Amino acid sequence: MTSDNHDTPGQAPPTAPVTRARDYFRVPAPIKRVFDQFPLVTYSPNELPQSAWASQHGNRLFVFADPGSARRGRPSFNPQCLKWQAYLKFVGIDFDLVPSTNHASPTGALPFLLPAHPVGGNTPIPSGKLQKWAIEQVHCEEEQQLNLRFEVYASLLDNRLRNAWLYTLYLDAANFNAVARRIYVEPSTTNGLVRAALSAQLQQAARDELLKTAEYIDASALEAGAGEALEALATLLGDDQHFFGRPHPGLFDASVFAYTHLILDERMGWKHNRLGQLLQQHENLVQHRERLLKFF
Amino acid sequence: MVLELHVWGPAFSLPSIDPQCLATIAYFSLAVPKDAWVLVASSDPSVSPTNELPALKNGPTWVSQFRNIVDYLRQYSDGAWDLDSNLNALETADNTAFSSFLESRAQPLIDLSLYVSSQNYWQCTSPAYGDLLQWPNQWLLPPRIHSAAKARTAHLGLSALDLDAMEDQRKRDHSAAVAAGKIPANFIQRPRDTVSKLLGRTSHQSQFRLEALTGELFEPLEAMLGEKDHLLTADRPTSLDCLATGYLALALVPELTFPWLRDAMQSKAHGLTTYTQRMCHKCYGTAAVKVADAYPSLSPSPSPSHLPWQTPERARLATVGYTLLNSLADNTPILSSIRAQNRLRQAVESSKADLSDVEREALAKHATGMKKDVLVSVAAAVGGVVALLGYMVQTGFFSPEDEEEYVEEEYEEEPFVIDAGEAPDAFGVMGL
Repeated sequence: MTSDNHDTPGQAPPTAPVTRARDYFRVPAPIKRVFDQFPLVTYSPNELPQSAWASQHGNRLFVFADPGSARRGRPSFNPQCLKWQAYLKFVGIDFDLVPSTNHASPTGALPFLLPAHPVGGNTPIPSGKLQKWAIEQVHCEEEQQLNLRFEVYASLLDNRLRNAWLYTLYLDAANFNAVARRIYVEPSTTNGLVRAALSAQLQQAARDELLKTAEYIDASALEAGAGEALEALATLLGDDQHFFGRPHPGLFDASVFAYTHLILDERMGWKHNRLGQLLQQHENLVQHRERLLKFF
Repeated sequence: MVLELHVWGPAFSLPSIDPQCLATIAYFSLAVPKDAWVLVASSDPSVSPTNELPALKNGPTWVSQFRNIVDYLRQYSDGAWDLDSNLNALETADNTAFSSFLESRAQPLIDLSLYVSSQNYWQCTSPAYGDLLQWPNQWLLPPRIHSAAKARTAHLGLSALDLDAMEDQRKRDHSAAVAAGKIPANFIQRPRDTVSKLLGRTSHQSQFRLEALTGELFEPLEAMLGEKDHLLTADRPTSLDCLATGYLALALVPELTFPWLRDAMQSKAHGLTTYTQRMCHKCYGTAAVKVADAYPSLSPSPSPSHLPWQTPERARLATVGYTLLNSLADNTPILSSIRAQNRLRQAVESSKADLSDVEREALAKHATGMKKDVLVSVAAAVGGVVALLGYMVQTGFFSPEDEEEYVEEEYEEEPFVIDAGEAPDAFGVMGL
């Protein structure tokens, strides 16, 4: 790109003082040579991936899952994804699971849904708007409005249980190597270096999240918090079939199931399952999970 | 043995500037007899081995965080100093759930109100810290607390409250416009945003979001309170009431430049507002707490206070040096990540909780392993630079005998390359 420029006529030679001043700020010659070569090649944009999933015409929910279990509609191994997967199942919306990663999502986080009959352009629906969409589809009720305690008890799941989950899955070395590395890191690449970098990133993200609310990551405090949260949830459920005495499972049941199922699921292959021990003390939560598992 | 409660010092006419400290003080003043504890406004988290305030010191034992302190008091007094002893199962569950709800919803609002809203931070919060901290902490701690509060609230998308962030964004837009070559740099007018103009826009744009956030916090609490005197039971306060007092007092009491949180609370939750005032008077006394109250031995005529203040020890030279070293290390890129790993390790090694020996050992080993990872990443960075230099030497970018020539050439050709050659070409690539 520079070859023609040498001969461009009509450029006045620079005056000496200006050039000397510039001298100090000039990029050193060898480094300039390296960067002169960029861009080496500009590729045309990639085609959109043509996978087996693209041919389907139903609602498509993009979640973390391995392809085998996604095809059979098995529960996702990510609590956020499982929550929405379970909710859509409970309210009776048909959808296909598509295994995906965060990079595919327009918001940067899974899950998101591509509806079969899009309203107003082919826009994906992020998880934050899934409930509104489901209510429009099947006219189920918005459970937050029905009970004052919905949001309050949901904070137990979103904070205490989630923090303990982050610690157990990502920061407990044995669990990280046995579980998180297998489900999140290994499917994405076979390159050892990239795997190591991805693992480090995952763990760092979990650590940053926990250090946002505390100066120290205190494993025993996190577990105690989770224990209290499970006890409160067990009291709230009581002898009912579903939370808040509803005849059918709903969003709150889905949120609880997302954690209780993964904590108790033997196929996760936990090495240290302190959360499992805490959960086993509450028989009604264990039965609640088994009842809901029949939907899958 | 007198229990020592170490907290952040008084501000905004409340006995502490931190909600967790306020909650702990409220719990002590309701549950513990007045001669069994003293309140120390040490205002320096490094006094406690966990680097957190509030911290309770009982002889050699240190306990930090509201929940842990409440648990410790119950065990220490054999259940005598326990506000939650008479609750039934459902009330206990509500106690847990509402505590978690308060901590997760009220903390971001207080962060937004006291720290992220620039005019509040620079005109109220920052001077308050200046009054209660000693040198050198008054220069080191507030920026740290400020940026932690910003990080905690980043996901709410309310950076419009933050004039610094607005200014950064404006600069980015500005330089992006210049870089894209849309406008010659000389012609771009610097938009002159006065503070008042920014404020006007801020309060309009963020109003809806703030309305939603404050509603989410106050409505369930207001409904829970109903006509009762306390949140859970009619007759006696619980630990939830103490926590609520701590957080809501910081929302209601401070006189701020931009008092959106207090306005929202007063308009949405009348019951909660009178409840908070009543609880503040009950726990912290009816007189406004001044910074001087926290140092009774330094003032010539100490005014009688509702709280058992004890003057903190003056910082020794060693402590000051230690603080300076620590903050230096925390701001050095690689050192700071090594120190972050240590926070996990120390927490594990010092925990006396019900972790089995095997588990504790595994965790400590894990944390040590993480430290090795950091060293590996340092080595990788160094290796990368060496490899780049090696590549450059190998492909002849450094050839000693030609060096002179390159310099000569550059001398001649640079004005052409910059002025005539590169710029139009770059625009061609970008399609402009």
